[in-house]
Amino acid sequence: MHGRVLARALFGALAGASLAGGIAGGLWRLGVAVPDPHSFAWTGQVLLVHAALMICGFLGTVVGIERAVAVKHRWAFAAPLASGTGALCLAFGQQAAGAWLEVAAAVFFLAASAVVVRRQRAAHTLLLAAGAAAWVAGNLLFALGRDGGAVFPWWFAFLVMTIAAERLEMTRLMRRRPAASLTLQAVLVLLLAGAAWSGTAPRAGGLAYGTALALLAVWLAVFDIARRTVAMHGISRYMAVCLLGGYAWLGVAGAAWAAAALGGPTRDIALHALGLGFVVSMVMGHAPVVLPAIARIKLRFGAFFYLPLAALHLSLVVRLVLGSFSDPLRAAGASLNAAAIVFFAVTVAGAAIAWRIQHGAEGARKA
Amino acid sequence: MSSPADTAAFPYDGPEPLREPLAAALARVVDPEISMNIVDVGLVYGVTVDATVAHVRLTMTSAACPVIDLIMDEAEAELDKVVPPELQIRVELVWEPPWGPERMSAGARRFMGW
Repeated sequence: MHGRVLARALFGALAGASLAGGIAGGLWRLGVAVPDPHSFAWTGQVLLVHAALMICGFLGTVVGIERAVAVKHRWAFAAPLASGTGALCLAFGQQAAGAWLEVAAAVFFLAASAVVVRRQRAAHTLLLAAGAAAWVAGNLLFALGRDGGAVFPWWFAFLVMTIAAERLEMTRLMRRRPAASLTLQAVLVLLLAGAAWSGTAPRAGGLAYGTALALLAVWLAVFDIARRTVAMHGISRYMAVCLLGGYAWLGVAGAAWAAAALGGPTRDIALHALGLGFVVSMVMGHAPVVLPAIARIKLRFGAFFYLPLAALHLSLVVRLVLGSFSDPLRAAGASLNAAAIVFFAVTVAGAAIAWRIQHGAEGARKA
Repeated sequence: MSSPADTAAFPYDGPEPLREPLAAALARVVDPEISMNIVDVGLVYGVTVDATVAHVRLTMTSAACPVIDLIMDEAEAELDKVVPPELQIRVELVWEPPWGPERMSAGARRFMGW
């Protein structure tokens, strides 16, 4: 029992450190110094690896824990352990060790996803495995020293396909046209083709990739159950609002990605409408349901969860829309993005305390 | 959607007086994303009660879902409230036959636009 509590604390610390390092790196990049970058010897590395810390260190670790909890094999936890420690190595300048640990993490994660496919062979489990394979590809390119232009499309394909697979699974509850699954697969093949192309032909690759993201936003808007569950109450409606807001940013990201491939100044919009607007909005939506499962922390859900969500989306409007006209506004928007994520973390902590107060310490221990 | 639970929604083999309370207990286990209980979604494959064990067979819509354990624990906790103390409770996760939307209750299907 103590071992499990210790393991949860370790994984929580690894994911939390990656998130904090990733956010700090992102802010430094936009010229927001927190704290004074010159007081910290590894500033350069943190700048360089902002994306690696956010995607591999934080999200990769969280998704890796999720998958390991689902397959119930002890070895599957090697994936989040490697991605978390790899991120620490990257943050402290051990580039090669960190990058190869990320490769190992993705390989373990792919193996855990293969277990899921063996247990349940379905379109959505195969897509999950394809997303894991995209993470392996991105991490290999990163370890081989390729730049963001080649690596980012694979890293985001990992996240986007993981989310799309989960949403496809939920659409089975809904009456849908038989073409839904096939159309989604076609869109994701275009996404992977765009990722593969991006390394050699950035213009064509970026166009294909952006188009695929935009088409995916349309697919989700048409087929996802969120359009129905948004009419429900409580946590179901909250999750649907997170999903629908995320889909809107996914559409923006697709257009911006394609525009950036054609030479437009929209790279920051593409990366962060996708990473923050789409992915982090998904994380905020799923956290109240998934955290109790993977961290064994019960949360009291309440309308207060909408506050950090609104903060995230408003801060993205400041950064990505108003920020297109002024660099100080973009930097201010980025600070507000970071504040919104911290606000969400505080909200989750508050919801956990509220649950304990409501149910008493005894109930919390039993859970 | 339906409450009290639709007891015809899953095969039951056991003492008649327990049928209704067991179905009601399982109908209190809810998937939070869709606000639907596991009976309405069609996740309960069968309940058998003999002299020693109350055995419930459940499936899930996805093998990749990290919330599986939580739903199983919750089912056990709800069953514990209605099953006589001399009986053991066994909640088993099964993948065969695979779940399909035809297993959803009429109310659930109506809500999802069937």
